[in-house]
Amino acid sequence: MARSWLEYRSPAWVQWCPGCGNYGILTAAFKAFAELDLDPAKTVVVSGIGCSSRIPYYINVTGVHTIHGRPIPVATGIKLANPHLTVLVMSGDGDLLGIGAAHFVALGRRNADITVVMHDNAVYGLTKGQAGPTLPAWVQTKALRAPNIQDALNPLLLAIASGYTFVARAYAYHVDKLKDIIKEAIKHRGAAFIDVLQPCPTYNNVMTQQWYEQRIYYIDEQEPDYDATIKSPEERSEKVARAIAKAMEWGDRIPLGIIYRDLTKEPFDARIEKIMPGYLEHPPATRPVHYEGKPLVDPFKVFTDRVVQA
Amino acid sequence: MVDLALLIGGPQGGGIESAGQIGVRALVMKGYDIFGVREYHSNIIGAHSYFNIRIRDTVARSPRLPVDAVVALDAESVFTHMDDVREGGIFVYDTSTLKTRVDRIAPMPGPLKERVKAKLSQHGLGDTVADAVKYLESRGAKLLGIDLKAAIKEVAEKSGRSVVSVARAANVVGLSAALAFLGVEKEYVHRAIEAYFAGKTRVIEPNKIAADIAYDYVEESYGLGNLPDGPHKGKVRMVASGNDVVAMGKVVGGLTVQTYYPITPAADEALYMEGHRLVEVREELAEKVGLEKLGVAVIQTEDEISAINMAIGAALAGARSATTTSGPGFALMNEAISMAYIMEAPVVITIWQRAGPSTGMATRTGQQDLLHAMFAGHGDAVKIVVASGDHEEAFYDAIKALNWAEKFQIPVVHLVDKTLAASTKSLDRFDLDSITIDRGKLSYEWSGGEYLRYKLTEDGISPRVPVGFAKQLNSSLEHTEYGYAIEDPEVRNAMVEKRLKKLDAIERGIPEDERVKVYGSSDADITIISWGTVKGPVLDAMEKLEDEGIKVRYVHIKTFIPFPVRTIDEAFKSASRVAVVDYNMLAQTSLAIRMFTGHKAPHVIQKFTGRALQEQEIVRAVKEILENNVERVVVSDGA
Repeated sequence: MARSWLEYRSPAWVQWCPGCGNYGILTAAFKAFAELDLDPAKTVVVSGIGCSSRIPYYINVTGVHTIHGRPIPVATGIKLANPHLTVLVMSGDGDLLGIGAAHFVALGRRNADITVVMHDNAVYGLTKGQAGPTLPAWVQTKALRAPNIQDALNPLLLAIASGYTFVARAYAYHVDKLKDIIKEAIKHRGAAFIDVLQPCPTYNNVMTQQWYEQRIYYIDEQEPDYDATIKSPEERSEKVARAIAKAMEWGDRIPLGIIYRDLTKEPFDARIEKIMPGYLEHPPATRPVHYEGKPLVDPFKVFTDRVVQA
Repeated sequence: MVDLALLIGGPQGGGIESAGQIGVRALVMKGYDIFGVREYHSNIIGAHSYFNIRIRDTVARSPRLPVDAVVALDAESVFTHMDDVREGGIFVYDTSTLKTRVDRIAPMPGPLKERVKAKLSQHGLGDTVADAVKYLESRGAKLLGIDLKAAIKEVAEKSGRSVVSVARAANVVGLSAALAFLGVEKEYVHRAIEAYFAGKTRVIEPNKIAADIAYDYVEESYGLGNLPDGPHKGKVRMVASGNDVVAMGKVVGGLTVQTYYPITPAADEALYMEGHRLVEVREELAEKVGLEKLGVAVIQTEDEISAINMAIGAALAGARSATTTSGPGFALMNEAISMAYIMEAPVVITIWQRAGPSTGMATRTGQQDLLHAMFAGHGDAVKIVVASGDHEEAFYDAIKALNWAEKFQIPVVHLVDKTLAASTKSLDRFDLDSITIDRGKLSYEWSGGEYLRYKLTEDGISPRVPVGFAKQLNSSLEHTEYGYAIEDPEVRNAMVEKRLKKLDAIERGIPEDERVKVYGSSDADITIISWGTVKGPVLDAMEKLEDEGIKVRYVHIKTFIPFPVRTIDEAFKSASRVAVVDYNMLAQTSLAIRMFTGHKAPHVIQKFTGRALQEQEIVRAVKEILENNVERVVVSDGA
């Protein structure tokens, strides 16, 4: 191991509440980055708005703290411009699946090689505890004035339906297990999604540490034969069905681990390379745009469909 | 002097755009300068559309009415344009529609039908095409009737194709009849057909036959016209739309990422660029940069919010980056504009203005997004706003916008409009030697210890190393020099001062002659101030008014931020009379002028119809102001 995980800690004061699940996710990220020996300059953590979205300040890699709901398009732009960077989106359930849901879906459709780590605490913490998109209906957490009358959405199903090729669920307090899943997600070539269940000790007094720990189990421990990795297109319908059934499990038993993986779909950068050969070797971030200030393109030579001989 | 105008109208989906494009090409090949603008409904098939082409031996830059020739491919076009041809002008119509009554034309707007019927009845006429033809005769038009149904049958027979498959060639029959009459040789029409439908033999052949039929008919019945070759004969020129030239400018200007969400009238810019996503490097430079081809990544996004945020992400990573949209899409980009400003991300947003409010009239023009563009972005967010008046300006401004974005590390709005988007212009070679590509303080290497993305500097602009080349923090929150979120009052002040210094750098860095252009002299009878595609009609009106002894000075604003305060102030002080042309309800240009200079324009010329501003409208409005001292003149020419 070339780098210690301590090297990924930034000097900034971490402003989360004591006992917040974000600490577990932060530590798991340090360890995953260290074990993968990621270059801090070439590793980019992009976040939106919310408690969890402060995370770029706390990890000593390149960070981009964007606006509410938009870390995915910003991250996609970074990855599009420079496909050789390791790009992660780390943001909350409200950011990614509330205000940013359109982008969450679009990332799956593109299968861009980006890892999305969703800090899923089912509440809007930074605005003091409103219902998040993963809070079940009729639950009334302590800041709500009335029970929640909107249904929770199932992030795993949405990810599978959107086209993510790596879909997993983890638990914030199990740092080493989470770290392993983050590593797998980063190594995966394509859009990877990890739904990290995360107690909010301040505002979610229903889905607490105890509540989760009574329900969660690891698929690889209890069902070692579970296999929802698509290695050839013919397996798709069967394995997708299996993954969907697993993703539907919720209630007394909540499965953790890698739910679904599709190794057959090409990532976005490979698709662009197909329609624009040379893209990977000379991506938009670094390809020459001038020579000593002079333009490289002569419009009369290039836009010949508009040239007319009078 | 040759100064002609030709209008071709018909149903959308009936090849009006093709006819216009073929007409423009034939006339450019003939040696003339051409400006052609297309007016159309937000509709795919059936609604009325027309192409207004201006043909000059000097500079063509605006539409005008009445025209010298109308080609009406259907009954609706006859009724819609029966007042648009000058006395002695040609009116080509389809004799197979003579019995069609106004009320039988489903797509035609009810109020227009009522106006047409009233007009015809005033002249003691009924409501059929035959009545409209009588009306046209009474107005002194030369009627040129062609049985388009019969012509299409003949095209089908001669080309060995079915009538259905060649039906659209009716447009070329009509167009060719007018061109034959005007004196454009048939070979130009043939060549234009070949150029426009490049490589599509199955389309080219029937269209050439269609041209032959029209030319034979005109020759037998009326005799062919005679038009000398234009002054550009022999030159290699370009025929391009405003959408095209902005795409070209961006590509020449070194754009590497363009994002967009489909919207009229911006999408064609992105589509044209996508069709040219791999471009050849100039021969003399290919070896020097070690590449023969360059890619431009054009990405369709899920919405405009994504389009701007993705463009910003690409810019952070070092791409030369832009997005393109219209007013409604720009409205969705607001929040991210402010982020780009505090993050100091260089990004260009092209706004192709169309007629609002809301969805308004999506395929019509206007200058209603001036204040929207200037003030977009919450919380004191600033940007540069540059506006283009014609195709050439748009090409160079697209490059300038990219330069300014990177030089000042700030969002730049490039304001254009639907008139420019949908107008086709003949262009000479661009001056490549005059173009400089400036990337400002960009560097891909960092060796100075910890890299500070927001380092406080003399000019407020920090060294820029892209994401991926030095560890860094980019933050939408108020931040330290490194990028850590902070709310400390002193750091806040320092960062606000930094961003203010940058505005000073912009003030210093964009000279007055890039902010405004003045045409004419200060001893003029009236000074007109405006911007954007108002330029063409005003410059043309200046010539016409000069012939009548009225001197006009035109002050053409190029950038609203930074504003050409000195020139506008001087214009007000030296002018005997000032009128602002404002293609919007609020007189937004006048408001901007007042905000920056304190001067209140005493006269305003406005238009709201969403149709391109025309030369004669300015001529009329100026006379109205000079003769009657009218404060506000509203013009509304064009069907």
